[in-house]
Amino acid sequence: MPPARGRSPRLTDRRLAVLFIAPALLLLLAMSVFPLLWALYLSFTDYSATRGGPAAFVWFGNYTAILTSAQVHQRALTTLIYVVGAVGLQTVLGFTIAYLISRRTRGRGLLTTLFLVPMMLSPVVVGLFWRFMLDAQFGVVNSLLGSLGLEPVEWLTRQRTALISLIVVDTWQWTPFIMLIALAGLTAVPRYLYEAASIDRASEWFRFRTITLPLVWPLLLIAVLFRAIEAFRLFDLVYILTSGGPGVSTETLSFHVYKVAFLGFNTGTASAYGILMVLVVIVLTQLYLRYLNKLKED
Amino acid sequence: MRHPKRTTGRKIRLATAALLLVATTMAACGDDGGDGARTGAPKAPATIPELSADPLTLSFVWFEWPPAKALETFANEEYKKVRPNATIKVNTVPNANWHDAMFTQFAARKTDFDIAILDSQHIGEAVTNGNILDLTDFVKNNIEVEAYDPYLLAAYGQFPQAETGRRDENASLYGLPLLGDTWTMIYRKDLIGDQPPQTWDEMISAAEKCQTENPGVSGLAFHQANGSDAAAVTYNTVNGVYGGNLWDAKAKKIEGVLNDPAGQEAMDVLVKKMKPLTAKGSGNWFIDEVNAAVAQGKACIAFNWIAASGGLLDPEQSTLGKSREQILDKLGFATLPKQKTDLVPLGGMGMHVSAYSPAANQAEALNFMKWFEQADIQKKWAAAGGVPSRTDAIQSPEFLNAGPFNKVYADSVPRMRDMWNVPEYARLVDIENTNVNAALNGAKEPKQALDDIAKEQQAVLDSSGRKGGGGL
Amino acid sequence: MAVSARRGRSALEIVLLTVLAVVMLFPVLWMIETSLKENRDVYAVPAKFLDFKITLDHYRDVFVSSGGGRSTLSTSFLNSVIVAGVSTVLATVLGVPAAWAYSRFALKAKKDQLFFILSTRFMPPVVVVIPIFLMYRQVGLIDSALGLILIYTAFNVPFTIWMMKGFVDEVPAEYEDAAMLDGYTRLQAFRKFTLPLLVPGIAATAVFALIFSWNEFVFAIFLTSSDDVRTAPPAIAGLIGGTTVDWGLVAASSVVFALPVLVFAYLVRKHLVAGVTLGAVRR
Repeated sequence: MPPARGRSPRLTDRRLAVLFIAPALLLLLAMSVFPLLWALYLSFTDYSATRGGPAAFVWFGNYTAILTSAQVHQRALTTLIYVVGAVGLQTVLGFTIAYLISRRTRGRGLLTTLFLVPMMLSPVVVGLFWRFMLDAQFGVVNSLLGSLGLEPVEWLTRQRTALISLIVVDTWQWTPFIMLIALAGLTAVPRYLYEAASIDRASEWFRFRTITLPLVWPLLLIAVLFRAIEAFRLFDLVYILTSGGPGVSTETLSFHVYKVAFLGFNTGTASAYGILMVLVVIVLTQLYLRYLNKLKED
Repeated sequence: MRHPKRTTGRKIRLATAALLLVATTMAACGDDGGDGARTGAPKAPATIPELSADPLTLSFVWFEWPPAKALETFANEEYKKVRPNATIKVNTVPNANWHDAMFTQFAARKTDFDIAILDSQHIGEAVTNGNILDLTDFVKNNIEVEAYDPYLLAAYGQFPQAETGRRDENASLYGLPLLGDTWTMIYRKDLIGDQPPQTWDEMISAAEKCQTENPGVSGLAFHQANGSDAAAVTYNTVNGVYGGNLWDAKAKKIEGVLNDPAGQEAMDVLVKKMKPLTAKGSGNWFIDEVNAAVAQGKACIAFNWIAASGGLLDPEQSTLGKSREQILDKLGFATLPKQKTDLVPLGGMGMHVSAYSPAANQAEALNFMKWFEQADIQKKWAAAGGVPSRTDAIQSPEFLNAGPFNKVYADSVPRMRDMWNVPEYARLVDIENTNVNAALNGAKEPKQALDDIAKEQQAVLDSSGRKGGGGL
Repeated sequence: MAVSARRGRSALEIVLLTVLAVVMLFPVLWMIETSLKENRDVYAVPAKFLDFKITLDHYRDVFVSSGGGRSTLSTSFLNSVIVAGVSTVLATVLGVPAAWAYSRFALKAKKDQLFFILSTRFMPPVVVVIPIFLMYRQVGLIDSALGLILIYTAFNVPFTIWMMKGFVDEVPAEYEDAAMLDGYTRLQAFRKFTLPLLVPGIAATAVFALIFSWNEFVFAIFLTSSDDVRTAPPAIAGLIGGTTVDWGLVAASSVVFALPVLVFAYLVRKHLVAGVTLGAVRR
């Protein structure tokens, strides 16, 4: 750097950095951090957004009540089944589709584009439309089953099938996501590795296990974690597809928080509930970022 | 973990910053207590203040259904004759979101509506929170209270609730009737005969017979969904007919009252006798699905709100006939069958003035209500598709001739029973909805469901003094 | 023998792929079909796949109300355009400079800052909406387009920063250094040399932000209530749950609503992997 320059460029850089970063950070502080801290404060009180009045401190009363509530345990179990079921199913399917596409030499771009359509739709549209298709009386799914000579199924109004329907719809929408990322991993596997393997006359399965999977695995793991976070937060699909029914058998944690917050307006309880959910999300996000870092370093 | 020392240092700094932020937040929120210093609802003036001469939009909030459109059209046509500068706007929200949309705005202390159309059971919550005006003095000076069936006046305006089914002259009024409603039984005259079944037992056997004789048509169609108040109203109706009680209002007791032998019998009738006669997969049906089943000719007997039944006569949406007359040859409308009692569910809604709307709009709202409750306007409202509450309007030919189900309403008025009108209503109805829905769909045994309702609802009523965890 | 086995397997794979493609695309096709059917065919049992009369009435109903004039649905589409558009512009204006700064400068605890930024994006909306609701009511932002714009911007800024940082990283810092040797200031160097190279990346990033805001439902349903402010997702959801359900209209409005997203997504197909992982994965 020529010393002839009047100002210290480092100082300018520093100011510039602050100037460029500060507005974005301030917005996040105002719209994400501040509300969360507010929620944290409310979570120690019995505040209600409609009843008003000063909030009385109940300290950890909300937290102990939530953690010991059978109602919450039930929702946690539902959420767990849903997250594991949906993410597991879409991982298997998404990877299969990606693998099949990666073995095609022609039409790859078109195929990928077609497969991606469900992912781009709003959950509202997806939820409404599947509700229509899964209708027991005039839905097209039962109509197709009927033409195969099968009995109609109560997709949305039986305890088991309703949760399965939720998993199926989520899988339909998000399989493309896993597929997309898996495909990115698969196409990045260097050709020469396969060529070397084929000279060795290695079996197909051996090649898949020793070359393909290890190379795609880290990327796939990131996709899975990402989906797990999203699935854990799920609200809209439940709201539209089953509104938690039959009974409360498809109520997820998010849906339960909504009921506590906006039906009974028990804002304090809902805040504590929300903070607990945020903690889970933070743990998942930590994992996600750790793997992401590892991937970048490799 | 590569630089453990640095990390710890940074963490301490971060934690300090976070603590500081929490402290400021709490200080900031301390001011929030100011808005809760009120007690109960503010009073509306006894006489209508001077009205504005400027153009003014009087806004309502309701849910999306035909009466909302009817009200907007009717009010703009008729009210403009006396108040040319006023325009009526009826905002609508999805039914599932109706309570939340109104009460989140109330909670925001800022409403985009001047007149809230509350479900009758919402009054308690709104009054306790001070969201709507106390109209007692206004009503005394401006409304002919003798012209109403006292129970209707009480149901759509009084708080505390008209527990005995009679109006309490000394209780305060917070609203005036807008639209009366109750369930009607819709039956296929061509399938079960012209005479409607008279008792609940007869109704069930007629449905059973009809279902066996007509493959593809199910015996019954009624509300079973777990949203809004769908499944809850269904159970409450059967509960009433079989002589049960929802609660002991004086003692605030639900446990042991709702799930007494009469309540159990009602639940058994609903789940074991009525549910098997419904269509497969009807466990999430509400107003629209029941209407669709009737219009598609897929139900022998159906139950629905009168105010939501207009569409059934529309040949565009029906497979039952090419004209209103042809449809009416097949569809009959009757009051609900009786069994141990003759109770029917009270539906409908009243008008309530938002406490957060500007003074000029509140004045206009009061003026509108006074205008709306006049005898001749009520008759015109009846002719326009509304369901009035004034006795003279209910008995008028304008109303009785406007729809085949209007006589059903007129005959049902003395038989009505409402749910609990308490601030905790939204929670109570959600508990009942989800549990009845669970019982109807085999997710819970009927007895278990009823006991759970009683236990959980009792817990909500008793929970006022609890330390934390309310609303779970 | 080996060749025919390979061919057989290849054929099997093609069949499998076709079946999967049909399953994945069928709901979309069914939606389009339903939007073109008359109501009585919509409810037909067994379902009609090909032999139905085509009508465009549902599409007319999306834009024109029954009494003539603009429908409330079309108002909500317009609201969506405004809210999604403005929030995307804001997120871009705030996010791109920040991304550049994070990419170019050595900052204290940079990794932690970036982690913090991304983690705000992962907060469950149902949880965030509770304090946001209380905050908005203090400042009068409930049921206003501005309120939605702000929260969507806040959710898009982390994404924009992560996504754009990747794009900036790909532009060699030497360009700017060289420009500064020629006497430009750092800021000028950014504007004149780096920014033009970033335009395709900015466009792709903006499109993803647009799609998020366009599809968002949870904040929209809890923070808005009036017809004048309501965006399309809650408006479409509101089409069911009245006294009758017009599935044809639901389908038509869904198609109209989804079409722009699909077109946009096609335009940025090269950056999809980065886009859907919030800029975290780039290959």
